[in-house]
Amino acid sequence: MNQPIRTIEDLKGVEAAGLTTLYPDRLKIVVGSASCGLAVGAGAIESAAVAVVKELGLDAEVTRTGCIGFCSQEPLLDLFVPNGPRISYGNMTPEKTRSLLTAYAAKGDLRPDMALGWFTSEEHVLTGEAHTYPPPNKALTEVPEWSSLAFYRNQKKVILRNCGSIDPLSISEAVARGAYRGALRAFAEMTPEKVIEEMTKSGLRGRGGAAFPTGQKWQFARSASGDTKYVVCNADEGEPGSYMDRTVLEGDPHAIIEGMLIGAFAVGAREGFIYVRSEYPLAIDTLQTAINEAEKAGLLGDDILGSGWSFRVRIRVGAGAYICGEETALLESIEGHAGEPRSRPPYPVTDGLWGKPTVVNNVKTWASVAPILTRGADWYAAMGTQRTKGTTVFSLEGAVKNAGLVEVPFGFSLREMIYEIGGGIVGDRPLKALQAGGAARGCIPPSMLDLAIDTEDRPGETVMIGTGGIIVLDDGACTADMARHLVGFFLEESCGKCVPCREGLRQLSGIMDRICAGEGHEADLLLLERLAGTMKAAAVCGLGGMAPSAVLATLQHFRAEFEKHIHDKSCPAGVCRGLTM
Amino acid sequence: MNPDTNQQKAATSHKDDKGPWGAVLVCGGGIAGIQASLDLSAAGFRVYLVEESPTIGGSMARLDKTFPTGDCATCIISPKLVECMRDLNIEVLTMADVAGLDGEAGRFHARVQKRPRSVDSAKCTGCGDCWSACPVRNHPELPPEFLPQDELNGDDASRLDGLLSGLEGEPGAMMPVLREINETYRHLPRAILEQIATRWDVRLTEVLRVASFYDQFRLQPVGRHIVEACDGTSCHSRGARAILERLQEVIGVQPGETDPTGRYTLRTVRCLGLCASSPSMRVDGQSFGRVNLDRVPEILEQFK
Repeated sequence: MNQPIRTIEDLKGVEAAGLTTLYPDRLKIVVGSASCGLAVGAGAIESAAVAVVKELGLDAEVTRTGCIGFCSQEPLLDLFVPNGPRISYGNMTPEKTRSLLTAYAAKGDLRPDMALGWFTSEEHVLTGEAHTYPPPNKALTEVPEWSSLAFYRNQKKVILRNCGSIDPLSISEAVARGAYRGALRAFAEMTPEKVIEEMTKSGLRGRGGAAFPTGQKWQFARSASGDTKYVVCNADEGEPGSYMDRTVLEGDPHAIIEGMLIGAFAVGAREGFIYVRSEYPLAIDTLQTAINEAEKAGLLGDDILGSGWSFRVRIRVGAGAYICGEETALLESIEGHAGEPRSRPPYPVTDGLWGKPTVVNNVKTWASVAPILTRGADWYAAMGTQRTKGTTVFSLEGAVKNAGLVEVPFGFSLREMIYEIGGGIVGDRPLKALQAGGAARGCIPPSMLDLAIDTEDRPGETVMIGTGGIIVLDDGACTADMARHLVGFFLEESCGKCVPCREGLRQLSGIMDRICAGEGHEADLLLLERLAGTMKAAAVCGLGGMAPSAVLATLQHFRAEFEKHIHDKSCPAGVCRGLTM
Repeated sequence: MNPDTNQQKAATSHKDDKGPWGAVLVCGGGIAGIQASLDLSAAGFRVYLVEESPTIGGSMARLDKTFPTGDCATCIISPKLVECMRDLNIEVLTMADVAGLDGEAGRFHARVQKRPRSVDSAKCTGCGDCWSACPVRNHPELPPEFLPQDELNGDDASRLDGLLSGLEGEPGAMMPVLREINETYRHLPRAILEQIATRWDVRLTEVLRVASFYDQFRLQPVGRHIVEACDGTSCHSRGARAILERLQEVIGVQPGETDPTGRYTLRTVRCLGLCASSPSMRVDGQSFGRVNLDRVPEILEQFK
């Protein structure tokens, strides 16, 4: 791309280029190469595919894409057949890749026996259009259609719109699926006030856990005094059990860049930071490439889209501190200090980075911005519940058949999530508990399965799954052991600044160790509750205040199991050592 | 400067007298020494209060509160300081050392050596301006662990130059710099951190504070390969503990340690973000999902 993008015509030119690589005339072999794919051997699949293509002299290209979300089927390989549909193959090995490509080269055999599903069409969420594939030949009709798979049937992709469908390193493929149209609309047709109004109308709330209305946050930052303002993307996804932010960063980096560009325009920021945790090296590389591409295309830098507006984005990489996911600790870290939280108020919208007004939003929030501007606030607000509009992403994992990333509108029930999308428990064992919504939420009992997912807890109606990780525990798991593990996590991550957290966690951890070793006393449960109450009341920041909930919430629902450890010196699930023999 | 002032001897001995002498020498002008002097003076003794530093008052004058009552330290000591200076029976000898002591109980002969004060004490108002201007004494005395220890060799120095000049004007450059060094050297060498503090004109403790806060910054050298076992919640529920124990058994070290041959350093991390492929582990940044006990030695073997 040589010319910077200025008008809708320029964007259309890039789109045309992207469409030819997205849906080429010749065979395209795509390997799902996000971290989750690579961890289970996607690299070897790609080498095998390249080798076979070369050996057989196939007219084909081998490319990569991000994670489509069906992680339990990784490694995934997709074939885009000329004049045919896109077909997905799961659980691939280099041998299977070889036999698939050989069969295809020899007689056009698509090996329906190995296929996971085929696509009739691909929805381009940002434009509202769809690319329809030519229908497949007869043999494939026995293979399920992708959109009819239980895992995908009820999903609604907005944040994950392009993950697993585009080459994340190619800006033209992102544009071909509608990226940067929202930014163009904002710059060409709207005022910053109008953009904020649209965000407010959409009902979007922060997806990081606290669910603060995004439009309102932007408005605060816009009206704060000062010329220098910042926008920040919180990609320090430290919560154990959630990895959707990583997937967006690795699979669709332009979604975040476009969101931040629109946000910067709305609040009046000239500089943005993306704070990524160091455990995600692939995400950092992908994001940097995307930023460079966007700069080349005139979408970042000076005079963006011919508007005279300038905006730059830098990546900051963390160094392994859970607390940096807290927004003020994250700002401290960007400034080059130890990541210790600041006391609020003042809030970052008035006193953020270097004391300037700063908007900090989560990856999923930024990724939700562009669709709202391209499709309109009404389209977005039609999804979700009364309180919370739109969709959000959950990572479903643990003892569930279909593990992976699930994007559904708010209001979805946990039961549907686990038994329909997730396909039930592995080995059809009974469900014991869910460790959902972050470590501080402890374990949720199956009796709460029929509650709707929302951004607050309303007893009997909704359940909050803050950060979106859902770890399914079957009857082979021990909730006391889980509580012990979660407290151990907080103990390690406590910064040690205040006594209630530093010392309280050490004591909590000691009590849990004692209970799990069969040395618990009668009074321990009471002590746990008293200690947790003190910590909640007295800790300086959210970490110390929330940490005891990991035990308290679990204890509230699974008291009987704790008592068995103490009174009978036995672990019913057979997990705690010393109590099993 | 009069050479005499360097070796001035305060005569506190009175050789001619036979009987017991009514003077007492108190060593040390802290709160204990001051109180002792005041009590002795009240009992009718002549007191010589010898203190090695330029002023009396000692540690208590520098404290905010006293243990265990939490009373204000200055409020206790200030009246005593004033009283001590005013008392005609007390002679305060600061910047002085007791050089010798002989005689017997009731008749000691003490030799006190005063060090040069370099100011005319009759004219001194205690404004402290000379102190901050003094080229000789105005070096804060840092404990040895906070002093630069090693010079950088040429390679390290030029590498650091390149790194720092590349990040010039970058706001909040501390994290990127430390990260880069941590990757290049596989830990944060002390000498380089000292250089950063010097060049940026910040205190070394500030650099060390950031360096020691983050889990991934290593202050000690590590083995050739870093083996990370994921201990996230999902991995924990899918057998991470057994994987870690297998790693400990194969490598022969506990988490946080390096094996004697320097091949592997084992550590645990909280969540690699591979939760749907749990249990997972990582070696030198290369991730492995769905690990089982048999695969552990196989994976380790790939890293010589």
